[in-house]
Amino acid sequence: MKLYDYELSGNCYKIRLFLSILNKSFETQTVDFYPGQEHKSPPMLALNPLGQLPIIEDEGKVLRDAQAILTYLAAKYDETGEWYPLQDPDRLGEVAQWLAFADGITGTASAARLHDGLFYDLDVEAARAGAHRLFRILDEHLWFAEQAGQSWICSGNHPTIADIACFPYVILSEEGGISRQDYPAIRRWCDRVKRIKGFIGMSGVFPTSAAA
Amino acid sequence: MNENLQHWYPVASSNDLPLRHVYQGQLWGRELAVWRADDGFVNVWENRCLHRGVRLSIGLNEGRELRCLYHGWRYANRTAGCTYIPAHPADAPARTICNNTYHAIEAHGLVWSSVEPMGDFAVPEALEGQETLALRPIPVKAAPELALKHAATYRFSADGSAANDTSVEAKEGGYVLLSADGAQMMLFVQPIDADRSVLRGVLINPTEDHLALLRYHNSGLSALRDVIESDAAKLPTPAAIEVSFSKVDADLAAMPERAKSGPKAELRVTVAQKWLASDGVMGFRLESLNEQLPTVQPGAHIDVHMPNGMSRQYSLTNGPGEQDHYTIGVKLEPKSRGGSECMHNAVQTGDVLAISAPRANFPLRRDATQTVLVAGGIGITPMLAMAQTLKAQNLPFQLHYFAQSEAHLSFRPILDDLGENLITHLGLSPDETGVALRNALASYDYAHHLYICGPGPMLEATRKIAGDQGWPEEAVHFEYFKNVNTIDDSSSFEVALARSALTLHVPAGKSILDVLQENGIETPSSCEQGACGTCLATVIEGEPDHQDVYLSDSEKASNSKILTCVSRSKSKRLVLDI
Amino acid sequence: MLDLNCKDSVILNQWHPLSSLEEINKGVVHKTRLLDASISYGIDDEGTLSTWLSNDHLKAGQPYNAAAITDPLPVKHAHGYLWTCLGEPPETLFSFSEFYESDRRNVPTGVFGVHVSAGRAVENFLDMGHFPFVHTGILGEEPHTEVKEYDVEVSETRDEVVATQCQFYQPQAALASKEGAMVDYIYRVPHVNCALLYKSSPTDESRNDVIYLFLQPMGQEQIRAHTGMCVVDDMNSHEDIRYFQQTIFGQDKPILENQYPKRLPLDPRAETPIRADKTAIAFRRWLSRKGLTYGVIPVEA
Repeated sequence: MKLYDYELSGNCYKIRLFLSILNKSFETQTVDFYPGQEHKSPPMLALNPLGQLPIIEDEGKVLRDAQAILTYLAAKYDETGEWYPLQDPDRLGEVAQWLAFADGITGTASAARLHDGLFYDLDVEAARAGAHRLFRILDEHLWFAEQAGQSWICSGNHPTIADIACFPYVILSEEGGISRQDYPAIRRWCDRVKRIKGFIGMSGVFPTSAAA
Repeated sequence: MNENLQHWYPVASSNDLPLRHVYQGQLWGRELAVWRADDGFVNVWENRCLHRGVRLSIGLNEGRELRCLYHGWRYANRTAGCTYIPAHPADAPARTICNNTYHAIEAHGLVWSSVEPMGDFAVPEALEGQETLALRPIPVKAAPELALKHAATYRFSADGSAANDTSVEAKEGGYVLLSADGAQMMLFVQPIDADRSVLRGVLINPTEDHLALLRYHNSGLSALRDVIESDAAKLPTPAAIEVSFSKVDADLAAMPERAKSGPKAELRVTVAQKWLASDGVMGFRLESLNEQLPTVQPGAHIDVHMPNGMSRQYSLTNGPGEQDHYTIGVKLEPKSRGGSECMHNAVQTGDVLAISAPRANFPLRRDATQTVLVAGGIGITPMLAMAQTLKAQNLPFQLHYFAQSEAHLSFRPILDDLGENLITHLGLSPDETGVALRNALASYDYAHHLYICGPGPMLEATRKIAGDQGWPEEAVHFEYFKNVNTIDDSSSFEVALARSALTLHVPAGKSILDVLQENGIETPSSCEQGACGTCLATVIEGEPDHQDVYLSDSEKASNSKILTCVSRSKSKRLVLDI
Repeated sequence: MLDLNCKDSVILNQWHPLSSLEEINKGVVHKTRLLDASISYGIDDEGTLSTWLSNDHLKAGQPYNAAAITDPLPVKHAHGYLWTCLGEPPETLFSFSEFYESDRRNVPTGVFGVHVSAGRAVENFLDMGHFPFVHTGILGEEPHTEVKEYDVEVSETRDEVVATQCQFYQPQAALASKEGAMVDYIYRVPHVNCALLYKSSPTDESRNDVIYLFLQPMGQEQIRAHTGMCVVDDMNSHEDIRYFQQTIFGQDKPILENQYPKRLPLDPRAETPIRADKTAIAFRRWLSRKGLTYGVIPVEA
């Protein structure tokens, strides 16, 4: 399996993180996303006409979009069946709901990070306000999950790809000027994600201490 | 003086503080790092590492210590004192490197603090002795005063049905007490900054279904937040509160620190527990009368001033983060000059003792790829502190404990926790001890370190075996119980003090330390027999006559350091950096 | 005098980097921020460079015409970058002779926005003690955490802070080696917002690769960090070098953005230095002696 990868991309990190958790080996091809804009080059556009990362090639299959790739990898390689619970319609629906929410986080928190860090021309105040609106919803959701004795975004006792899809641009939000101080339940959930077996960080994401 | 800073406010919920997490909080503009240690203690610290200002809320809660993410500095539970600086692994951090802390009281599901408290925390009367339920906190982008004004308009019902008439029973600087058909709640407003607040509700004697109540009030308070925020949006945003940061100790800013304490007994402790830790060894748990005890670093010792007027040095066995007490072990010496005899027989549980602050003259490096600890008899005490530190950090080590018999193994509960890291050697003859040591020290490699504490002959033997088997001197660290050398104080010479621009005469029969102290030069000291290293001074010129057991052979040969309590001068004149 | 929010003559009278020359699209107007002011710049096909205080006539993205600039600011192109000045420009910019050696490759590794003061970012660049904790497995690794003694001086003649004899343990010091080894470093701070690091080249021990950090203060607590490398070897591709530098910079970013306060405190008693921080101590004193107030917390009189 080959991943077209850029180290500082949270969307690429979703794939690296999940493959590490699945303990699945893969090769990467580093794309000069910044400043080279290589993802907009003809060979890359041939793979993904949207000109975005990540892209994977697996046994001849080419797939784009972080959430789509997570779904594919879980369905194909997760032997536990827990990360994308195909047999459980209730939880499967929840996963799909929160994958869409992760897209919302990308559209806001990631956009603010691109503006502040790489000088993308966009309305950063709107992006930040949008991220705060989503973080409020996520924090409330996670707080009540904790009250019900649950640790993850979707119900059940096991994390799902929804956690993987939401995590990167939440943990990188400060780079877009979005503090997480008002979201204590999100901060605790981030610690829990960092303690999933097989967790790896990325440039800008550090590990946490061992559980008690 | 801002009166608001003197009030107590809730700054976190108890369930914001699971183990191994650091909560990020704020009160009146001051950022807080709040964390619960594995022993349950709640720490509320200023949210910046004193080294380079990095927020401690992104640091690692390792259970007993908080580690800064930037340079790995470690700060102890309770005291916030720095216990280790990885960039200088051979040095013990100055005792005054201590993060700024705030008071913390946990009550009714909340953690309370205050910037500059006037008086002790008192639970608000309405909560006193009541069953309570802390609600989900709701952050609000609005000034605290505005949030409080609106808090008084909150409407609710006792059972989660449609909101009823709610009356305001009390309104203070930081909260309102509300009641609706007999049910009561307190709604606190935690001031975050000039333009931000948190609503923290507490239900008094709530009905059974807690989850339903939590959801009911979460939607009620979220709706209230929306009203407050839309109101706040019509007003100009107040400027953020300017926070002033207190300065660090002047000694630290200048870098080379020098402890000013002489043989002082600045702390008062009570003997909370006294027990037989093994055959002939008495354990003492010492607790402070009122103040927080200074931070313990592994290998540190204290001076204990006894009722009979004598003072003795004892190593602390405390593990990392154990800051609510000091534990020492005292062996009854058959030839006791009165010290151990007094501790064993005269000192009783409940007695008050004067002790010095801990001195870290036997520091533990934590950059070793393998650490070997060798303890003989009561020499186990500093090794227990080191072993617990290494264990807590998951660093590779072995503790070789030589004792007469099973019954002579002290502090069993601590030993039991060390698991496979502990290797005991019981009832060995001197020859057998030699064989065991040769095996234990068989494989020296780069970045291995050896620490030895035990009776003189065993310590000498271990140092020799280590040297013979390729351990370089800088990898071998040791602490003698006492200096058994006969001190020859017959020489007389001059001491020039470079920094003080003073030349003093040291006559036969007096130590350099005596002469310094007679002349009002502040010099720290502890054992005053050349064993502990507290009175160490730097030699600029001249040839010292070393009579101590603290310095290593190469340190002695370099003539760059001297223990002023016992060592003298071979040259007529000695220039010291004092 | 221009009418600017920034009143600090120390910082106004400096050359400030705006962009790598390689990365300026020709013929269009670009816009950025410097010292709280909006600045526009452009280059035409003849290579004529201009910078000016932004105005409504020439917006970003519009065609650039050098002749239409009525109030140009001073311009310098040096060390591969476009520099400008909002005060009295100094006659010279610091020397960076390696940049001009013909057998070297100069690789700009990107410009990044960071929510921090320039002083904090320079200090982080000068710091070795954080390698095992922040750049774990790359520039350092526990338990090898010791910062050995090194030398620092403030060169009077060149007015720069220089740290020499710096050494730090680096895992996989050479590409071909799995073993860690001590690596030698030299640091230079020849400009209040610029620093250079010299590190022996993996292919030629007698020569140094240079890593540079040129900071453009957008505001007191926000910077554009221009990073790049000036290397002797041909072993690593441009992409490899960018990947390496961006990974390192990305690791430092959350640390920098979590420093509190964001401005660099110059009072020696504001924070707790240790021996390993000798360069930082010298840097803070040097800034203090210059009388800098922008982006720092000056020592109270």
